[in-house]
Amino acid sequence: MSMDKGAGDNAQDGDLNKALNDLEKAQEHQARARAEEAAADREIGEAIEEVKAAEEHDRDRVEVHVTHVNDVEHASFKERRTATLGEVWDRSYKELKIVRKEKDIFQTAGDPPKSLMTHLGLTLEEAHKQKVITDYRFGIVSETGGA
Amino acid sequence: MAKANVAPTMDPVAGAAAFDEDIPRVLKVLGAESLEALGWRRPNKLSLLVPLKGTHNGVTDEYLLRLGFQAYRTWPPSAQFVNPQSLTYSYPQDQQFVPRLASPECRTHIAYERPGHAKIQLICCSATLEFYEVLHSVEAHHVWHETDSFLTTIMAIKRAFGDFYEGRFAPHG
Repeated sequence: MSMDKGAGDNAQDGDLNKALNDLEKAQEHQARARAEEAAADREIGEAIEEVKAAEEHDRDRVEVHVTHVNDVEHASFKERRTATLGEVWDRSYKELKIVRKEKDIFQTAGDPPKSLMTHLGLTLEEAHKQKVITDYRFGIVSETGGA
Repeated sequence: MAKANVAPTMDPVAGAAAFDEDIPRVLKVLGAESLEALGWRRPNKLSLLVPLKGTHNGVTDEYLLRLGFQAYRTWPPSAQFVNPQSLTYSYPQDQQFVPRLASPECRTHIAYERPGHAKIQLICCSATLEFYEVLHSVEAHHVWHETDSFLTTIMAIKRAFGDFYEGRFAPHG
């Protein structure tokens, strides 16, 4: 004698299968989410390392501001503290996109500005320590004649 | 373009226009929003007043530089240290308002003599109009270019204050 399932039993089996399917899908989602989370953690770790490296790099650099007085132009750029004033002066022309003139003078941007022409061999760090400069703002001017 | 041994020609209309044109460029490069923010003042279309100071033997003195743009920008601005009350310069009564600057690039004279002409105050620097008016000798590379601006003049004078300021001219009498 066979026992046929009643309509109520069939409905219960259907609900159970659906619930098992849903559980399986949910577990798959969870596994994917955990994998993504692990990947995100790795990326965050890498990014933090990059930030640390950039900070380390920036610690050795300062923001330099240069004004070309005659051409009324300005440029800002990062430069190594170990760069000499002469190197900063050279790079300034590239950043300003201005051609150097023979009688140009490199000077502080202080008030009053002071010529740096006898200090071009000092590094930014040395110049700051020796109070030749008080900040990293500079000016380029063409020599004038008079007297 | 300015030339050695050629007397400057005045063109106040062009001068005022060039001055108008250069003000925003200069403000931008100095990172200032207005002339007043720099402590400067424009009393009329052709003049700019710039306070300057110099320190000699521990004493700081204040001065007022008046730039005039009547021949600008073909020629540099006129530059005179003036009495801060009258905003003019009369020799000899105003000579104490002139700093002693003794730079190879910029030297002041309270009464520069030129045969056949009245004595004038001369800021002897190739970035001032008076330098050309007195037909001063000048090296080719020092001659004013039309690409220069009044900032060149101010900076040349300021630089002289930095290393070559020798105090105030004594009052007359």
